[in-house]
Amino acid sequence: MRTAVRFPARVSLEQILDGLARDPEFSQMVTRWERIPPRRASYAEYPAWLDGRISATLRRRGILSLYSHQADALESTHAGKHTVIVTPTASGKTLCYDLPVIDAIAKDPTARALYIFPTKALAQDQLAELMRLAKDVDIDLKTYTYDGDTPPAVRAAIRSAGHVVITNPDMLHTGILPHHTKWVKLFENLRFVVLDELHTYRGVFGSNVANVLRRLRRVCAFYGSHPTFICTSATIANPEELARRHVEDDVVVIDRNGAPRGEKVLAFVNPPVVNQSLGIRKSALFTGRDIAATLLASGVQTIAFARSRVETELLLTYLRSRFPQPQWPQDLIRGYRGGYLPSERRAIEQGLRDGSVRGVVSTNALELGIDIGALQAAVLLGYPGTVASTWQQMGRAGRREDLSAAFLVATSSPIDQYVVQHPGYVLDRSPEAGLVNPDNLHVLVHHLKCAAFEIPFEARERFGTEDTPGVLAYLDEQGVLHESGGKYHWSDQAFPAETTSLRTATNDNVVIVDTTGPAPRTVGSEHHDGKARVIGEIDRFAAQVLLHEQAIYLHESKQFQVERLDWDNAKAYVREVKVDYYTQAELAVRIRVIDEFDRRSTQRGFDLAHGEVLVSTLTTIYKKLTMYTHENVGWGKIHLPEQELQTTSFWCSLPERAVAGWPKERVEVALAGLGNLLHGLAPLLLMCAPHDLGLAVEVRSPHTERPTIYLFDMTPGGIGFSERLFKSTDVLLDRAREHLDSCGCGTGCPSCVGPAYALGTEVREAVADLLSLHS
Amino acid sequence: MNDLRARIAQIVERDRAHQSDKRGESRGTDRNPLYAAVSPAPRAGDPSAARGPSVGAAAWPCFEVREQRFAIDDLGLEIVGRGACDALLLAHLGLKGEAPRDWPDILFLDTETTGLSGGTGTYIFLIGVAHFAGKELILRQHMLLDLGAEREFIEQLKGEIEPFRACASYNGKAFDLPIIRTRFVMAIRSEVTVDDSHLDLLHPARRLWRDRFGSTTLKQLEESVLDDGRTADIPGWLIPDAYFHYLRKRDPAIIAPVLEHNARDVISLVRITDRVARAVTAARAGRAPDHAPAAFALARGFERTGEIDAAFACYESAYYDGDNALRAKLALAFARLLERRGELERALRMMETLVALGLGSERWREQAESRIRRLTKKKWRKALPTAS
Repeated sequence: MRTAVRFPARVSLEQILDGLARDPEFSQMVTRWERIPPRRASYAEYPAWLDGRISATLRRRGILSLYSHQADALESTHAGKHTVIVTPTASGKTLCYDLPVIDAIAKDPTARALYIFPTKALAQDQLAELMRLAKDVDIDLKTYTYDGDTPPAVRAAIRSAGHVVITNPDMLHTGILPHHTKWVKLFENLRFVVLDELHTYRGVFGSNVANVLRRLRRVCAFYGSHPTFICTSATIANPEELARRHVEDDVVVIDRNGAPRGEKVLAFVNPPVVNQSLGIRKSALFTGRDIAATLLASGVQTIAFARSRVETELLLTYLRSRFPQPQWPQDLIRGYRGGYLPSERRAIEQGLRDGSVRGVVSTNALELGIDIGALQAAVLLGYPGTVASTWQQMGRAGRREDLSAAFLVATSSPIDQYVVQHPGYVLDRSPEAGLVNPDNLHVLVHHLKCAAFEIPFEARERFGTEDTPGVLAYLDEQGVLHESGGKYHWSDQAFPAETTSLRTATNDNVVIVDTTGPAPRTVGSEHHDGKARVIGEIDRFAAQVLLHEQAIYLHESKQFQVERLDWDNAKAYVREVKVDYYTQAELAVRIRVIDEFDRRSTQRGFDLAHGEVLVSTLTTIYKKLTMYTHENVGWGKIHLPEQELQTTSFWCSLPERAVAGWPKERVEVALAGLGNLLHGLAPLLLMCAPHDLGLAVEVRSPHTERPTIYLFDMTPGGIGFSERLFKSTDVLLDRAREHLDSCGCGTGCPSCVGPAYALGTEVREAVADLLSLHS
Repeated sequence: MNDLRARIAQIVERDRAHQSDKRGESRGTDRNPLYAAVSPAPRAGDPSAARGPSVGAAAWPCFEVREQRFAIDDLGLEIVGRGACDALLLAHLGLKGEAPRDWPDILFLDTETTGLSGGTGTYIFLIGVAHFAGKELILRQHMLLDLGAEREFIEQLKGEIEPFRACASYNGKAFDLPIIRTRFVMAIRSEVTVDDSHLDLLHPARRLWRDRFGSTTLKQLEESVLDDGRTADIPGWLIPDAYFHYLRKRDPAIIAPVLEHNARDVISLVRITDRVARAVTAARAGRAPDHAPAAFALARGFERTGEIDAAFACYESAYYDGDNALRAKLALAFARLLERRGELERALRMMETLVALGLGSERWREQAESRIRRLTKKKWRKALPTAS
């Protein structure tokens, strides 16, 4: 496939897809070309109880009836049942909660509702939509967003007069709940709580949010209200379970989608093997770039999802070089990811909606329901890590009537190779489960403190865990709480909600400061005014890998070199550079087992356990790799303090006899290979990104005294991954064997056990030996 | 259980260590002569302290009220607490809302809290309230002896506050009242009405004295205005910890400095109110403050209340005592008053002099010149009929 970019020939998407399907080079890469037929809508009448002004307004707008799932949601919420609506992107989920809320307020102006969106951007979108609807219906409905950007002057009005308060979990956590006495009107009359994008409330963030919701219900109970929760979620396997963990009550699931859908082409693309013996495939980045360039050159508005910030920047650079100025407008393609400033992001969203931005390269930041309009094509650079994300990202391209297309380009990673060779995993199976662990002690204790700040604890009260009295007694002893009259009162000057963020386990970011002076193009001018500019921030754990001194950090496809990393004050000083390499840091990991929760043996003779561990990580060296060929052109040392992480881990040790008589090198290699394989495939069981899980292998573990593989939770205290791995190890081992059998490499490649050139040519065989024990 | 404790211990951060060594250090020994002259401050446990009922099985009563009486003469009050209070004067004292009729209608108050961050986890553990009765000022300090008794404490406080039509505070608008409102909702789900009419002395005090003394904290004003500084006083930031310490140790000696601090704050609030009132009254009588910025501040206040003569006197005084920058600042308003009194010639001369000196911003000069044109026109118009 060659992409000759000359003029924006306006070819229809249909023609481009035809061309691709006919291109022999391209069709060789395609493992599955799935044409999903359009689906007709299934309609239902407006319920009789719905305020007449609302149905009249919707009819005026041309919405003559509801989709069936909307009607179902209305009935369920009207009956006061907690409800979770599980339908794809652009199926009209918003009406599922807007209508019950507007109806309630139309009938009783004292009624209140709280909308919770995972991000500020989503909240802004919703505000506009709800205000339009309320205005058309012509009821007096006051809606406000209440977040960090709300001016103090209007806050008082929102507190007393806002019918619908739109906020995010963070603001609820620090701004609303600890000041609930200012929100008496809201909490006394709270009828509905809307939790949009429920599936995003998983992992550490979800565990925090579940606790914020516990606090919310506590405050509501204090004021005598018992709101109905309306949740929406992308398609996940366990919406009911996830909603139940958040609502802690029975939840009705509505998942029969009544919305129509245009025809859609899904292509699973596996880049060709370029080196058979090394098992190296053509970079997904290049293949993805070619597809995206083909689409963009024909005027198809396209979104490309990369999996990391670095990849986002690389792809942006590659694509921009295909569309040089001045033939092409400067803003044709934009980057979008965390670390960009909010104003930058709002501008890009706007550009996508009005069509001035034709292409965007994004991390999963754009996977959520931020309104960027419906694009025509999506290119996924690598499997996004979860089936739910895959559908969300593919759903970014897709309109109700027209044809759309989505391409999933596999990388060499094991999970990608598994998915691209078993596309049915995405297409057929119900996707994986969203996990939260609200009772993670780190998370829970923190929120229990916040809850005590909000309302004193009764001695017999339970906050999540059965251990509540123990935690209360401990905090009392520490002087954080004070027991008196059968209640535990907050007795500290601190404001507990401000000490932790919901987003990360540690509230500790490294700020990136650009010290490059302005006007660098002025010839001969060495002077600049020394004005430093903050271009982003990154959490400490990522920082040790991305922001060590001499690292090349990419931002908006510009290269910056880290000149100084002030680790104690969490600042990285960078300067713009132009080099032809990027850097990659190596992380050394050490593990100490603190407590073993449970252990068992598998049929294969592996000993399995899970428990609490202390992980120490140290970045030692970094490599310099050339931009396009990834050749190693140098290295350097990194001097950073060791980072410690106390978390939960799953571990698996090999039986003595499995490796009896093996030379030490072979044991080492086999262990590393099996570790890679399991680490690569474990995310298929857990709804997590590969980097949410850490890997360490020990040829002779001090704890088990045997060769051992550790897969640990990257969140302090753990959020349930290790226990789930412990329980479903057999499935994981089966899948590992299946994958190894079907991998096309001869001796081991990055897609299965790891590259043979790094691990030795016997790696694949050694791992296969281990896996075939007793089977 | 031990396992749980060990694990929570790793989670709970202890960051209050640095404060504990300073705790209790600053308990004063030399008593303030003011208190000594009036009535010795009763210690917690004295018979003069009324106590509330005990809560549950706790051995400790749940709250305590200490009462002290001060003669108006001993406090050196000249205006506040004596005779009727006129609405105009109260306006100068920072009144927002309906004016109370009489000094005894006003409740002076100051709170001590378990933190400065606000929010529902910040308790009021001590509130000092003072009101006038006859020739006395009665100070009552309500002290919450255990957080579990907050409901009873707040109910009692509500009874104390309700009869009053107004309250007076120092920075109460931003600090004390929001916390009182929060505690009322938390403890008894009730609203507070006393601040419908509120004199927050911070603002008039700031206008009068900030320029002169830099800071206008109550403590600073005691030194600079009342000439009666505190020799021993517990710093505000130590107060929450002193209370937490007291809750655990139950030693009245720990909390005594806080009670004293609070009593001092309330009394000073009353005395400062009197000083502001004196400055206003004196200016009305034609004795404007000799500090020019203070005179200027009062002049503006008098303009707002429509007391033109007093305003004129203050502008005049501020104009003669002030530096050129201040003169430029007040000239336009002063000229307007001069014009109103028919002293056109004087107004003109003043404006022309200031403009000739090249003072003020460009915008100011434009305004000044337009005023000069207007005055000149008026002057000639006035002169013409006599000429014809």
